[in-house]
Amino acid sequence: MFEMCADPKVLAGLDWFACYLTTPKHFQFYFSFLVVLTLIFITAPIVLALGFLGAFARRAAFAPLRLVGHAYTSMVRGVPDIVFFLFVPIALDQALEYVRHRVLCPEVTEPVYRGNDFVVCAAAKLPLSSAPQWIHEVYGFVLAIIAFSVVFGAFAANTIDGALSAVPRAQLETARAYGMTERQTFRRIHLPQMWVYALPGLSNLWMILIKATPLLFLLGITDIVYWARELGGSKTSFFEYPHPDWRVWYFLALLAFYLLLTWLSEKGFAWLNVRVRRGQATIGAEVAGVGR
Amino acid sequence: MDAKPDGAAIATGADATPVIELRNIHKSFGALEVLKGIDLVAHKGDVTALIGSSGSGKSTLLRCINLLEVPQQGDIIFQGEAVRWKQRGYDRVPADIHQLRKIRTNLSMVFQQFNLWAHLTVLQNVTEAPVTVLGLDPAAAAERGRALLAKVGIGDKCDNYPAQLSGGQQQRAAIARALAMEPAAMLFDEPTSALDPELQGEVVRVIKALAEEGRTMLIVTHDMKMAHDVANHVIFIHKGVIEEEGSPAELFDRPRSARLQQFLAATGT
Repeated sequence: MFEMCADPKVLAGLDWFACYLTTPKHFQFYFSFLVVLTLIFITAPIVLALGFLGAFARRAAFAPLRLVGHAYTSMVRGVPDIVFFLFVPIALDQALEYVRHRVLCPEVTEPVYRGNDFVVCAAAKLPLSSAPQWIHEVYGFVLAIIAFSVVFGAFAANTIDGALSAVPRAQLETARAYGMTERQTFRRIHLPQMWVYALPGLSNLWMILIKATPLLFLLGITDIVYWARELGGSKTSFFEYPHPDWRVWYFLALLAFYLLLTWLSEKGFAWLNVRVRRGQATIGAEVAGVGR
Repeated sequence: MDAKPDGAAIATGADATPVIELRNIHKSFGALEVLKGIDLVAHKGDVTALIGSSGSGKSTLLRCINLLEVPQQGDIIFQGEAVRWKQRGYDRVPADIHQLRKIRTNLSMVFQQFNLWAHLTVLQNVTEAPVTVLGLDPAAAAERGRALLAKVGIGDKCDNYPAQLSGGQQQRAAIARALAMEPAAMLFDEPTSALDPELQGEVVRVIKALAEEGRTMLIVTHDMKMAHDVANHVIFIHKGVIEEEGSPAELFDRPRSARLQQFLAATGT
C-alpha cells in the first residue's frame, strides 16, 4: 500500500507492520468485517418484519393462519440453530435448482437424484458456473441472510406476540370507544405501547444475532473468523507466513470488534428504552426519571 | 373519516327526538343475565344518574350504549337512528361499522380508571381522537385541547405524561379528552370511584360545571351526593331491572320501593 513497502531495505520494525498489515490479503480480512456488519444490518429489519408477520399469523382470527404461525415459531425455535443454518441454504439451493432444472431442461430424462448425487443440468445451476466469482459470493451471502432471518424471525415473532398481548386491554378499548378503527387503534395505541414490552426480548435477539455471525463460516463464507485463522496461523494450506503463530492476536482483534459492537448496541438500546418507556407508569420509567 | 352531523341538525331536529333511547335491553354474560329489559330515554340537556349497588348492571348498561358491550336483545336508538344488527343472540353484532363509529364519536366515555393513553402526553391524549378519528387539523386540535385543559383546571399539565398526574388530575384530563370530541352526549362510568374523597371534589366540580352548560350526560356513580346535586333524572337499577326512577328530589327524599330505601340507608344518604 505504501510506496516504501516496495523497498526491501525498510522492512524492519514498525514500518514492516505498516506494510504487512496492508497487504491485499489483509484487505480481504478488513472487508470481511464489512460483510459481517452488512449481514447484521440487512438481517435485523427482515427479522423484525418476519417477527411481526409471525406474530400476526399467531393472532389471526383465521384458524389455519394461526396454525401456520404456531408451526413456524415452534418448529424453528425447536431446532438447533447450527442445524438450521446448515439446512436452510442447502435446502433452498437444491429446491431452486430443482425447479430451474424442471423448467429449463425438460429434455433431460435422467432423474435429478442419482443415488447419492444431486445432479441438475448446467443451465439450472445457481449461480451459473459461468457467472463471475462475486455472483457466487453474493448468492451464498443471500442464502445466509435468509437462514439467519428465518431463525431469528421465529424468536422475534414470539417476543412481539407476547408484547402485543401485554398491552392493557383498557388502553385499546378506550381507543375503540373514541371511534378509532381497528387499524387506527393498532397504529396509534397498540403498536407504540408494545415496544416497552418487546424491547428487552428484541435487544437480546440483536445481541445473539451479532454473536451468531461467526456461523457464516459454516456456510462457506470467508468471514472474519476464517480470515483471522488464515492470517494468524504461521502457515496455511496455501502460504507460509513470515511470522510465528499469531492467531491469538488476530482472535483478540475479533474479540475487541465484537465487544465494541455489543457495547455500542447496549448504548443504543439504553437510549431506545428511555424513549419507549416515556410516560409508562412502571418501575423502569421511574428509574429513567419520567415517572411520578 | 366520518364527519359528525353538524350542530344545527342536532339543535333543530333533535329537541323532540331523544339523544339516547334504549328499549328493552337484555344482556347476559354466559348464564349470568346482567340486564333484564331496560328502557331509558335521555333528551338533550338531560343529566341522568344511574345508581345501584355493585353488580346491579349499571356499568354494563352504560357500556351497551356505545356498544363496548353488545346486548343480545333490545334496541339502541341514537338521535332517532336505531342501531342496525346482524346475527342474533350471543352472535349479535352491529351490522354497520360506519354507524357504530358515528355513534362512538358522538358519545364520549369517561372511565373509572381514567384510561388515559400512557404513551401520550396529556395534550396529545386530548388531541389524539379529534385528529385521528375526526380528521381535525393538528394545530387547531392542539389549540382547542389547551383551552379544554385550562377549562378543567390543568392547563399547566399539557406536556406531562398521565403517570405524572394525580388521580384527580388524570380524570379531569380524561374529561377534557371527552369534551374535545364535541360529543352529543357524555358517558361517565363511575368517574370518582377510583379517587379518594379529597380528589373526588375537583372532578365533581368539573362535572357540575358541565351540567350547568346544558350538556347531555349519563353518569353511573356511587356518589349519591353528586347524583343528587348534578342530575335532573335518577335511575335506580337493581338486579338488572329499573326498580325506581324520577327526579333527585323524589328518589332521594321520598323513595317508594323498599329496595331503594334499603340502598339509600346502606350508602348513608
